[in-house]
Amino acid sequence: MRNGFKPVITVFHCVKSLGDETDLSALEDNAEIRSIKIPCSSMVKDVFLLRAFEAGADAVVVLVCPEGECRYVDGNIRAKKRVQRVKNLLDEIGIGSERLGIFNMPSHDEAAVSHIIQKTASELMAREPAPAAYGVKL
Amino acid sequence: MIVGEQKKLAEIKEIVAPYRKLLLLGCGTCVKTCFAGGEDEVAALASALRLAFKQDGRDIEIEELTVERQCEDEFIQEAAEAVARNDAILSLACGAGVQDIARRFGNVPVLPGVNTTFIGVLEKPGLFTEECSGCGDCILTTFGGICPITRCAKKLLNGPCGGSREGRCEVNPDTECAWQLIIDRLRALKQLDNLKTYMPAKNWRTSHAGGPRKLFREDLAI
Repeated sequence: MRNGFKPVITVFHCVKSLGDETDLSALEDNAEIRSIKIPCSSMVKDVFLLRAFEAGADAVVVLVCPEGECRYVDGNIRAKKRVQRVKNLLDEIGIGSERLGIFNMPSHDEAAVSHIIQKTASELMAREPAPAAYGVKL
Repeated sequence: MIVGEQKKLAEIKEIVAPYRKLLLLGCGTCVKTCFAGGEDEVAALASALRLAFKQDGRDIEIEELTVERQCEDEFIQEAAEAVARNDAILSLACGAGVQDIARRFGNVPVLPGVNTTFIGVLEKPGLFTEECSGCGDCILTTFGGICPITRCAKKLLNGPCGGSREGRCEVNPDTECAWQLIIDRLRALKQLDNLKTYMPAKNWRTSHAGGPRKLFREDLAI
């Protein structure tokens, strides 16, 4: 771990894409995981994503159902559009849109979730901490 | 509703840069409905500004507040204490709201965070369209509830120009031909005869031509 840097990853997920029984603790060696469960990914608002960064996240991951499988019809489409809007904002701010990702997940696929979080963590290790969280200018 | 669009973050950053304590003031009526300046937009913009300033190595304190309407003094008063705590106000209201806030709080800079765009409707999710020019002399009775002043690119009052194609405007094919809509609507209402009445040249004195307008109601004045 470079200079003791342990990235913080905030994971927003709908109840279908990541169930209560999913254990993310095995991934905590590489990153601090902050999991936020919401009934449907459409409830992810711009401000929630931005405040996750304000609260110290180095990256934010949004897990949504595959397209066409949202229980609320188009919740995942709405989430995708909001994420894109916030990605544009992050670029404008200078934090970088690559720190925010959205992934369509098969229901309760723990292996896929682990892969995404590990990949995100390893990408973050190659970068500086998020400047907004640590007051560091890139 | 009055439709507005939030200014770009870069522009907002520039206009608030001189101030350390900022009141970000939303409006809970028109601009909330068009997702430009309600509570959610205030919260998101405040967060984005804090992140942006921190990214630049600068600090800014942002207080968030949304009042029901920034164009009515009884609601504006609710912001008085918050205004007193801050160096400037970034208003996410329409231009009328910004100016009413400026009138009420004479010693505090009031900055616009929204570009006021037009009077319109939410045609479908994500699409707002202009439907009223506020001309001061409504003629919608004659035209079946469709305004040729606002919705016809040429503002024609006595029939179509002949340039439309398949119901689309020749000036902008993304726009429906207002006269096609008027004729279809009047036909459905069996009021096509409305169009036999000659409409004289519009009197624009009720519009912006005479400068800012006032409406005085003696029955409401005290």
